[in-house]
Amino acid sequence: MNTNNLSRRRFLELVGAAGGSTAVYQTSRAMGLLEDTGPVAKLDLQNASGKNVAILGAGIAGLTVAYELERAGYDVTILEASHRIGGRNMTLRHGDLIDEMGNNRICNFDDEPDLFFNPGPARIPGHHHRILHYCKKLGVELQIKANYARHAYTHESGRFGGKPVRKSDYFADANGFISELLYKAVDKNRFDEPLSEEDRERMMKFATQLGDLQPDGTYHGSVRAGYKSGGFIKQGVHKSPMDFSALLNSHHWETAYESIANPEWAEPLMEAVGGMDNISRGFARNIRSPIVTNAQVQSIRNTDAGVEVIYNHSGKRKKLSADWCFNSIPSHFMVGIPNNFSKDYNACFAGVQPGNFFKIGLQMKERFWEREGIYGGITHTDQRINQVWYPSHGIHKQKGVMLGAYAFGAEESGFFERMSPEDRIKFAGACGNNLHKGYSDYIEAGVSVPWGRMNHMMGCSIAWTPETREKYYKRMRAPEGRHYMIGDQISYHPTWQEGAFASAEYALLDLDKRVRAASAVTRKG
Amino acid sequence: MRILKTGSVFTATILLIIASPSHAEDELPIPTDDYIYCTVCHGVQLMGNSVIKAPRLSDMESWYVERQLQAFKKGWRGTHDDDKAGIEMQPMAATLSNEQIAEATSFVTKTRSELPVSTVRGGIPRGRHHYTSCVACHGDEGQGNEALGGPALTGVNDWYLITQLQNYKNGIRGAHPDDSFGNQMRAAAQILADDEAIDDVVSYIATFGND
Repeated sequence: MNTNNLSRRRFLELVGAAGGSTAVYQTSRAMGLLEDTGPVAKLDLQNASGKNVAILGAGIAGLTVAYELERAGYDVTILEASHRIGGRNMTLRHGDLIDEMGNNRICNFDDEPDLFFNPGPARIPGHHHRILHYCKKLGVELQIKANYARHAYTHESGRFGGKPVRKSDYFADANGFISELLYKAVDKNRFDEPLSEEDRERMMKFATQLGDLQPDGTYHGSVRAGYKSGGFIKQGVHKSPMDFSALLNSHHWETAYESIANPEWAEPLMEAVGGMDNISRGFARNIRSPIVTNAQVQSIRNTDAGVEVIYNHSGKRKKLSADWCFNSIPSHFMVGIPNNFSKDYNACFAGVQPGNFFKIGLQMKERFWEREGIYGGITHTDQRINQVWYPSHGIHKQKGVMLGAYAFGAEESGFFERMSPEDRIKFAGACGNNLHKGYSDYIEAGVSVPWGRMNHMMGCSIAWTPETREKYYKRMRAPEGRHYMIGDQISYHPTWQEGAFASAEYALLDLDKRVRAASAVTRKG
Repeated sequence: MRILKTGSVFTATILLIIASPSHAEDELPIPTDDYIYCTVCHGVQLMGNSVIKAPRLSDMESWYVERQLQAFKKGWRGTHDDDKAGIEMQPMAATLSNEQIAEATSFVTKTRSELPVSTVRGGIPRGRHHYTSCVACHGDEGQGNEALGGPALTGVNDWYLITQLQNYKNGIRGAHPDDSFGNQMRAAAQILADDEAIDDVVSYIATFGND
């Protein structure tokens, strides 16, 4: 049967006959006919006992495919090039190896369960249904992670006298000033289409609420910025508003509203209790299939019957023959792995560039930020460290691990990559001194993870551009024979774990569609 | 079914043998843990990776590989701000002892990979003309000349030759006073007037061995 000649509708009918309505639903999803932001697809994979699957890479996507396929009866083998599972789902604790090219070292945090750092994904938003589904299924405990804290700061070297400003002050005053303008405009009713008297009144009430205005529509500071003094035994005194033009002159508004309104960053987010790698550990606990670490792929070849993978392990060359292959190897490495793929498939790997991220984690001997009323959240700065994160767990303990730098993209990450690991920590400390008094003196230990320099990574997903999306994305997402590329790299959410889960789901549904179609044909004879 | 599978494996092996007649896949060297790092960027059997900009190393002469590892280690290469790929290589070489450099070199020279495909489309006749001043050190067929310190140019990715000629020309490579071979090449690269001349000469070099 040549499926190319099938119409979409005819195909869905055929699949429906073979697998019932669940199959139609899943297939519609795989074909992109259903929204992919809704509830998780119910994976009711057709049992395929005795079929072999090779999974390349034990990151989130590979582990998800392994978990689902072994439950559908497949014989699964996972090959992982590095010394550990999880990929960028990583948590660094006391004694862990940081395998940076030319700079490998050991994490020197204290041996304490609360002192860890997630150098890869660290946040889970509530609308990332797939990751939450698997956390629930695997028994991975989650907790709220405050991504926004009103008491954290915004800092710009040349603005507000170079001093950090509380986000509460910034937002209270920014909203106050804007609301006052709105109130005045509505009051004078100078619009192209004047408002009705009723709407005018409502709008003025709205502006009063939005900015905490006085009854006359003016803004004179708000409790939303916190009290200058008093407020509990003595009557509270509001802070005076900042200078409006100084506020406009700052660049914080370029990111401030996005950081609280974008669902990916809007509070509350979640994190895995005890470290994000509890997700990959959860998979490892629930997967029986062999996961072979330190297994580096040497070639991938599609054959008539399946896929043949040659890999090196313990100084020996080995061969894995499988019916299907799911490959989460970073696409930029595929250029250096012999294969017999078609020219247009290989052109995708050569045509896209790796993304890059860089993070620093600092063990602080005291949780000094809590004395400033900061519990979780992020301080933004225009220094190259970009962000400082305060931990949401371990509150009021003696020590804590903060995020000390978060650089995005090749240029900014490259700036840190070129420093020695020691210099990176020193640099982060010096920047931190502009945010908190004596910041660098609190640093006891530090780790830095440049994804563009990590062994078997050399990048962080794909840095998709509108042009490369158009040119390569669909081709790379589609299988080549019985070989699928997977991972967050094959999604519209690169660097998010949800992207990896979505990619795994997409490939599994596509596989199931093919398996069901083939068995329907067999049954009809 | 079993027979079918064996059959396809057999066919694949034959195809492989046809692709590289003198080296069956089983004879390829397997790097020890220390040198797996090389293959992460330079690819399986150091076949080269154009996205990471790590060139093909198999077929490079051992004396040249060793000299370049030393150049990276000493910071003659890979320390200029504009040498993005060199900066990635430099810390790797810096960690190697002289003994490890010898071991790494031995691994490099044992690797076998297919010749790279050409990507550049310059003017070959013009390139032939430019190449006359390269012959003394690199040989009339790009075969190299150890006595004069000129490495072979065949089997190297053309995009890498272009980058390196640009780097020499712009003082990104070959500028360190102690790097005497690099200094020579930096001076030699000045005869190539512009990027077009570089493309031309590299296009000509790509014709070597393609009779």
